[in-house]
Amino acid sequence: MIMNATRQYSSPNCNLILEGIEDSDPENADILSGRAPISAITNAECHFLRLNKKLSGGNVFLANLTKAANNYAQGFLSGLFPPDKSDHSTGEYPQISIAQVSDQDLHRLTFAPDPNSDEAKTEIDLTTVELFDLVEAIDQLYTDPSVLPNMTLDLKPVSKRYRQPEQPLAERLTPVAIGLSSLAIAAGALFMLPIPQESSTKSLPLNQTPKTETQTEIPNSVPRQIPPAETSNE
Amino acid sequence: MSQSASLESEHQSPVDSPASILNTLPDIPLPAKVCSPRTQQQIDLLLLALEALELGASEHMLATARQLNIDQVVKNRVNLWRLRCSNPWRRSYTRDYLSLDQAKALVIIAGYRAKDLMVVIRQLLVAEQQMREKNFPLDNHFRLSEYLERFRAHFRSRMNSRRAKVSAYIGSEEQLNELALSLLNKLLFCTGTRGMQRVWFSLFDGEVT
Repeated sequence: MIMNATRQYSSPNCNLILEGIEDSDPENADILSGRAPISAITNAECHFLRLNKKLSGGNVFLANLTKAANNYAQGFLSGLFPPDKSDHSTGEYPQISIAQVSDQDLHRLTFAPDPNSDEAKTEIDLTTVELFDLVEAIDQLYTDPSVLPNMTLDLKPVSKRYRQPEQPLAERLTPVAIGLSSLAIAAGALFMLPIPQESSTKSLPLNQTPKTETQTEIPNSVPRQIPPAETSNE
Repeated sequence: MSQSASLESEHQSPVDSPASILNTLPDIPLPAKVCSPRTQQQIDLLLLALEALELGASEHMLATARQLNIDQVVKNRVNLWRLRCSNPWRRSYTRDYLSLDQAKALVIIAGYRAKDLMVVIRQLLVAEQQMREKNFPLDNHFRLSEYLERFRAHFRSRMNSRRAKVSAYIGSEEQLNELALSLLNKLLFCTGTRGMQRVWFSLFDGEVT
C-alpha cells in the first residue's frame, strides 16, 4: 500500500516541507521513531518567512537547492568559491544558484525554471542569518534518518587547485614590471653615451717598471736619517 | 529518578571518550599531516571572537574541554594559550604546528561555546543588518559596538603589528570591524546541526590536493 507522508524542517526564517511516498516495507522503518522512511519525493517546498516567498519543485529542485546551498555556504565560510561547472552541464531544471550581491551584505538566490514552462525566474535576496537558516533546514533534513536514507550530504574541502593567491596577479607582477622597465631605461640611457676611446698616452717601457718598484721599496729598507736642518733647529 | 538517569545518559552519550567527540569531525588527508598556518590562524581568530563575545571566555573554553572529556588534548590554561600561539599573526607565535586532533579539539570547543551563545550571535547579526539597511554606523548599536570594541582591543593587544597584514588591520578600524563580523558569521554557522563540520571543512579549503 502506498502511503503519502509529509515532513517539515523549521528554522526561524525558513521552512522546508517535503511530501513523499513512504517505504511500505516494515523492515526499513526507523528503529527509534518507528516511522517508515520517505523513499521518494513528490514535492518539496521552501518558504522564506520574512520575505513571504515560496519556492517549490520535485526531486531535482531539492538536489539543486542542496548543492547550491552547500557550495555557497562553504565558499562563504572560507572565501574560496570553486567554479561549479556541473550545474550547467546537467541542464536539469529548475536550476538554482546563490551569489553574493556586490557591495551589500546579501546573498541572491536565483531560481531558474525550465524555459519552456510558464514559471518566471525568481530572485530572492537573503541576509546572512536567512542563508544560515536555509542551510540549517537542509542539515536537519539530511540528518533525519526517516527521509531518503540513501541520500547523503557530501561535504569536503575544496582542492588547492582553486586556491586564489593572497595578492592579485597585477599586484605581484608590478615589482617585476618596474624592475624590467627601469633596466630598459638604464640600457637606453647608457646606449646614448659614447663608447670610451682607448687612451692615446703611451705606456711606459717595460724596463722602467722594476725601477719604480725598487724606488718604492727603498724608503722601507733604508733606515731614516734625520735631515741636518731639523737637528739645527732643535 | 529514572527521568534524571535518562537525562544524564543523554548528556553523556556524545562525550563518552575523547575519541568519540573528536570523531564527530572527519580526518582531512593533508599532505603534511599537520595543519597549515592559515588554518591555525583561522581557529585562533574564531576563539578571539568568542573572547570578545563574553567575559571570562578562556575559563569557559577550559570548562567546555573538561565537560567534553577532551582535557587530554587541551589540558590547562597554559596549554590552551600555547595551542593558540600557533597563529602566525600572534606576537608570541611559537612556530608550532597543530596536529589534527588539537585542531579538532579547538574547533569543537569553539562550536560548543558558539551554541551556548547562539542567541547573542543571532541578535548581533540581525542588528548589523538593520544598521546597514538604515545606513547607520554600526557603533550606534550598543551591544554590537561593545563586541566590535572588545574585538579590536583584543586584536591590537595580541597580534604582531610588524606583520604587514596585521598592521593593515590595526591601521583601519573599518577593516577590523569587517573581520570581527565575518568571524561572527562563522560562529553563527558553528551553531547549526552540522555547522561544526561545515566550518571544519571550510578551514581546509585550498589546502588539500
